[in-house]
Amino acid sequence: MTGAGASGPGDGRWTRRRRAVQALFAAFYLVLPFLGSERLAGTMIALRVGPVDLAEPASAASAWLAGGAAAGALLGGVAPVVLLAALLGPVYCSWACPFGLLSEGIDRLRSRRRRWPDRSWERARLPRLLSLAALLGGSLLLGAPLAAILAPPRLATALPLEAVSARVVPAVTGTLLLAALALEVLGPRRILCRALCPAGGLAAWLRLPFAWRPRLDAARCLCPEVALCHQRCPWGIDPRRMRRADGCTCCMACVDGCPSGALVAIRGGPARG
Amino acid sequence: MSGAARERAAGFLRRRLAPPPLRPPGARPEAEFAGLCIRCGRCAEVCPYRALRPAGFARGLEAGTPMVVAREAPCWLCMRCPPACPSGALEPIRDLRRVRMGLAVVDRDRCYAFMGIVCRTCLDACPLQGEAIRQDDDLRPVVTDRCVGCGLCEFRCPAEGSAIRVRPEASGDRAAAAAVDTGGARGPGGGR
Repeated sequence: MTGAGASGPGDGRWTRRRRAVQALFAAFYLVLPFLGSERLAGTMIALRVGPVDLAEPASAASAWLAGGAAAGALLGGVAPVVLLAALLGPVYCSWACPFGLLSEGIDRLRSRRRRWPDRSWERARLPRLLSLAALLGGSLLLGAPLAAILAPPRLATALPLEAVSARVVPAVTGTLLLAALALEVLGPRRILCRALCPAGGLAAWLRLPFAWRPRLDAARCLCPEVALCHQRCPWGIDPRRMRRADGCTCCMACVDGCPSGALVAIRGGPARG
Repeated sequence: MSGAARERAAGFLRRRLAPPPLRPPGARPEAEFAGLCIRCGRCAEVCPYRALRPAGFARGLEAGTPMVVAREAPCWLCMRCPPACPSGALEPIRDLRRVRMGLAVVDRDRCYAFMGIVCRTCLDACPLQGEAIRQDDDLRPVVTDRCVGCGLCEFRCPAEGSAIRVRPEASGDRAAAAAVDTGGARGPGGGR
């Protein structure tokens, strides 16, 4: 699903690793419904792996707002995911989410030659906040966990599950997923992942200031104002102007794109901002 | 936000376009269920009988929540789905006699036994043999308040379109009934 251009922009050591991990997760969620297991079951917003029961934080908050205190059952599963987001940011967006893989494929097919405008991530910041607020507020108002229902990671992973487990055509999930993909094709670049997904939006805000992310050694940076790393970032972040909650998913495409070795994936020193 | 105000605000979207669905065992009361269920699909995934299917668009905001269509695939009360639920929408039940998915109702105009034909299909299908459905003096089926609403009788009934149907109610909705559950006449039980 990564498009025809195997040697397109963004390919490099980290991107190849990431594609392998993404493919593994996609295959995992496709095979899971066939297992019918109780110890290994679920979708990306609620996954059980043996004794560990993981829950996506925005979905859990949404269920709590919509359904009340009984949703506290999700709390234990939220903790490890919050910890992951605090230390790595929304790392599951670029390394695990099957919808992210689809979205990247669409983006590659439609915009091989386009460049990110300046300040592109800053433009996504307000829509991301508004989307999260609208979905959580709507959950409270309507009594339905909208952030869980509409989360793209759920749509992408529930589709095979519903088709296999229930032996029905997953009409609702399928329609919502098609609508989401249509928006990715017709709307602004990667609009769902960057601005609308409640799971990614919340994880972006949960990132701690000292969390892991690409490090920039400004003294070694040789690029002019329009930098290669900025153009390669799948979210349009300029790695030379990183901010805590800019939504960096640690995909490391900027590291692959850096011609001078100024950006590195793993090494000490706090990120800027 | 008070419950009443929320119901009003949600009214235009939540209005039921179809009769209430039969929920899996252990479901919280219907008013909470659609809010607690995060549509993760784990209940359907662990159901070995493929009896749980996602509700469709006709259910408005309840679309995607699990429901049982008893005539096509009833609940066999294996009790695997409640522990699979991560969000508390389904609560584990140890004793299957405490399950209250609904209550079976006999359609006297279509039931063979009421026509004088000997038929005890629903009694034989019932997992609570002799407790949930009993025969009256004329050998006609009578549903007691011990019925858990699994739908096995509805599934097996030989009458066209089934002469016995489960009227759904989530567990909490029949809390009162559970409280007076103590009396219920004991049937022949182990006899069969």
